[in-house]
Amino acid sequence: MTSVPVTIAAPRGAGRRAWARSLGRGLRFGLLLACAAFFLLPIWVMLITGLKSFDEVSLARMWELPSGINLDNFAAAFERLAPNLLNSILLAVPAAAISAVIGSMNGYILSKFKFPGSDLVFTLFLVGMFIPYQSVLIPLVLFVQSIGLSGSLLGLILVHVIYGIPITTLIFRNYYATVPTEIVESGRVDGAGFFGIYRHLILPLSIPGFAVVLIWQFTQVWNEFLFALVLTRPQTWPVTVALNNMAGTQIVEWNVQMAGALLAALPTLVVYILLGRYFLRGLMAGALKG
Amino acid sequence: MQLRRAFQGRWVAVGMLAPSMLAVAIFVYGFIGWTARVSLSEWRGLLPDYTWAGLANFVDLFADRRFHIDLINTLVFTSFFVVGAVTAGLLLAILLDRQFRGDSFFRSLFLFPLAISLVVTGVAWRWLMNPSTGERLSGLNLLLGTFGIDPLAWHTSDQPWGIAFVALPAVWQMAGFTMALFLAGLRAIPEELKEAARVDGASELQVYRGVILPLLRPVLLSALIILGHLSLKVFDLIVAMSGKDIRLDVPSIYMWTTTFDANNYARGAAIAIVLLIMVAVLVVPYLAWSLRREAEV
Amino acid sequence: MATVTFDHMTKRFAGETVAVQDFNLEVNDGEFLVLVGPSGCGKTTALRCIAGLETISDGRLLIGERIVNDVAPKDRDIAMVFQSYALYPHMSVYDNLAFGLKLRKVPKAEIDRRVREAAAILDMERLLDRKPKALSGGQRQRVALGRAIVREPQVFLMDEPLSNLDAKLRVQTRAEILRLHQRLKTTVVYVTHDQVEAMTMGDRIAVMRDGVLQQVGTPKELYDHPANLFVAGFIGSPAMNFMKARTDGSDLNVAEVRLELAGKAAEIVSNRQTGSEMTVGFRPEHLELGNGVTGPAVRIPASVDVVEFLGDEELIHAQAAGGELLALVSSDHRLKPGDRVEFQLGLDKLHLFDPATELALLR
Repeated sequence: MTSVPVTIAAPRGAGRRAWARSLGRGLRFGLLLACAAFFLLPIWVMLITGLKSFDEVSLARMWELPSGINLDNFAAAFERLAPNLLNSILLAVPAAAISAVIGSMNGYILSKFKFPGSDLVFTLFLVGMFIPYQSVLIPLVLFVQSIGLSGSLLGLILVHVIYGIPITTLIFRNYYATVPTEIVESGRVDGAGFFGIYRHLILPLSIPGFAVVLIWQFTQVWNEFLFALVLTRPQTWPVTVALNNMAGTQIVEWNVQMAGALLAALPTLVVYILLGRYFLRGLMAGALKG
Repeated sequence: MQLRRAFQGRWVAVGMLAPSMLAVAIFVYGFIGWTARVSLSEWRGLLPDYTWAGLANFVDLFADRRFHIDLINTLVFTSFFVVGAVTAGLLLAILLDRQFRGDSFFRSLFLFPLAISLVVTGVAWRWLMNPSTGERLSGLNLLLGTFGIDPLAWHTSDQPWGIAFVALPAVWQMAGFTMALFLAGLRAIPEELKEAARVDGASELQVYRGVILPLLRPVLLSALIILGHLSLKVFDLIVAMSGKDIRLDVPSIYMWTTTFDANNYARGAAIAIVLLIMVAVLVVPYLAWSLRREAEV
Repeated sequence: MATVTFDHMTKRFAGETVAVQDFNLEVNDGEFLVLVGPSGCGKTTALRCIAGLETISDGRLLIGERIVNDVAPKDRDIAMVFQSYALYPHMSVYDNLAFGLKLRKVPKAEIDRRVREAAAILDMERLLDRKPKALSGGQRQRVALGRAIVREPQVFLMDEPLSNLDAKLRVQTRAEILRLHQRLKTTVVYVTHDQVEAMTMGDRIAVMRDGVLQQVGTPKELYDHPANLFVAGFIGSPAMNFMKARTDGSDLNVAEVRLELAGKAAEIVSNRQTGSEMTVGFRPEHLELGNGVTGPAVRIPASVDVVEFLGDEELIHAQAAGGELLALVSSDHRLKPGDRVEFQLGLDKLHLFDPATELALLR
């Protein structure tokens, strides 16, 4: 077996392949770094301008690093936005919680208790996720006025809960689809009814589903703009509306605006950094990709 | 007995779903119908006026120069945004397809803009793309200046394609989404398929062209529909970047200002209905397609 | 057509797991060689090394006269049938077959001729326009074979190609692959974990375990003369019986039963010190009831536990002095649980193993 003739070309080919591999790797890494820089650019600008002191504020030196960490801008922005940040919390937390409860129940029904027409109901729900909200805006404003919730956070919470039904139902339905139907059937055989199965079998398995929906809805409601714009008044403005109005005026220093933008982004950003995995699952559900 | 309990459970289920069904029926379908009715009325003031106007509002709308600008703007924005986000997303997905140390860092980094409000994005990019010159030169123009490039007017350009620059922050925000879609698509392709192609004589490039990219076609379709319908609805980003600048006007903003600033409810409703139809043309076939695919699995 | 030579080949994965260790084997030109072993034994890794889907860590690998250690899969002139078939889902059957030829820039007319010829051989001309999704499992399997055939490669590599078929189809396809091999006479390296498949298909069989080659030989050689305990237990169905024994002069004691040996076996045993341990092995189908054995034989008394009726034969689970044993006997005997029987075993059917080295002592 040792007498087998040797082809001399082999090692040269090996070298070329290894070389091409490391070149490819380097090229890929370089491209990734360039993309990373592009993605970080706005955050970077918000951060370095937000951290500059008032006397450093100069357009020409926009890209320069601040001489030290100076929280003047953040303090100023916080002073202006604090009530709105509070509004956003009072809005997003309950809206997300109520949405999750409703979505869980709907998802349980549409995945484990199918009835004739349940798939149609689900499809009709889904449509609600894609409509431009302008197409319901006029009746919505009239309706919220008519029940006396105009301008209140409560009205806006109600609206977010209702228009959150499609996505939360979808996420939970897909999530429960991964729970074997045999579990429900064995629960039935053991004598549990609709609520017993939900409480004892489904709910304990739902924690990741709740994490996905809570995080997704919190982020969406926090970031939402159109409903907030037409359904709130200055006292109840959530931070998105307040930030937009602040940026629209010439009175506020642009360093303060940058600091304010960062403050408005911070809560959802922190949630993303800590629990991004769940956020991503909500995101993919929205593309109907399960 | 068994049968009866299942049957009872089913009625409880329908009962528990009823509030949501009612809510969707009223707040989605009922309100769309209501909007449609308003679009066929003479309501042009603070007080409702449901006098039948037929299609007059739509005829007026399509004769309206501002609406023409809106449609052109939407078309320009959609083209740049969709092509940009798909290309960038695909590139990022291919760069991150093969796992390596630190790949999850890059993935998270490209996805973080999705967690941020479009208003924040708009405010930040409005400053990056500040068109001021001379003394007040700033933002990206300042950076470009160091490379000897003249300041750009960006989205404030008087050219009809000025709105294309708004696609830049939009791509910044959404590229991570298409990347995630494509990555999921890439990961779903069995390794054996690529190996089969290699054994069949394909180079790495041919593996991509012959096997991987064709298999990503359904993912591409999803991405196109989702991005396309989002860009038809674009509102927050443009408002945050330019307020009510007519040069960047789009149907969703026109609807908002004409309804709530000018109290022309009938026209606002007509715009909303046109917008809804544009979105429906894109989304309804997609919904049917993806639900059929789900049923097949 | 070509030989495939493993020359002291070793494959280590990252983290120092050795998948294949110091592997030496020459697959002859035109031979049907089966790599067999339990899952995780390294057989698939060895196959993937031939394909170039894994790079080898040490030693050399040759296809024909050429060292292919660093040759890309596409330049090795091999074709592979994957366990999952790996059909391209977006291409028709025709395009699946033609893909490899198109990449090689074979003229269109030639591609068409070869695709149609392969389709004719595999009796799937009617399927050419279909997508893989619209095919049954057996049809997909044939497309996978067809994709390999059209390439007219030097070597066919097959990775458990029958494992996704139902039992009946598996038997049919087995014969089909063999017919194909007789017709094309291309070298085949075939991986399976199923020893029946290995025995029925291979010109030669290479048995692997834990990354190490145990024995190479024709099916008959492996059946008659397994080189060690592992091969003896792995080849043959139902599996060989093993019992612990102690030497006693030129005889063996299995518990209190004495096996009186003669000939070569007696010679080997008498060379050992009385009382030393030895493992005896015998196949269930070689145990006889009554006076079926001609020539020298040993007797093994036992009591019947369970009888599995197989039709013409019965599989007997019985308790003997040395432990439980299996016997495959004619169902004419109508044994019942509790019956006391005495099995006979021809001395030429007895295997002896060294318990320490696990190597066969009678060759």
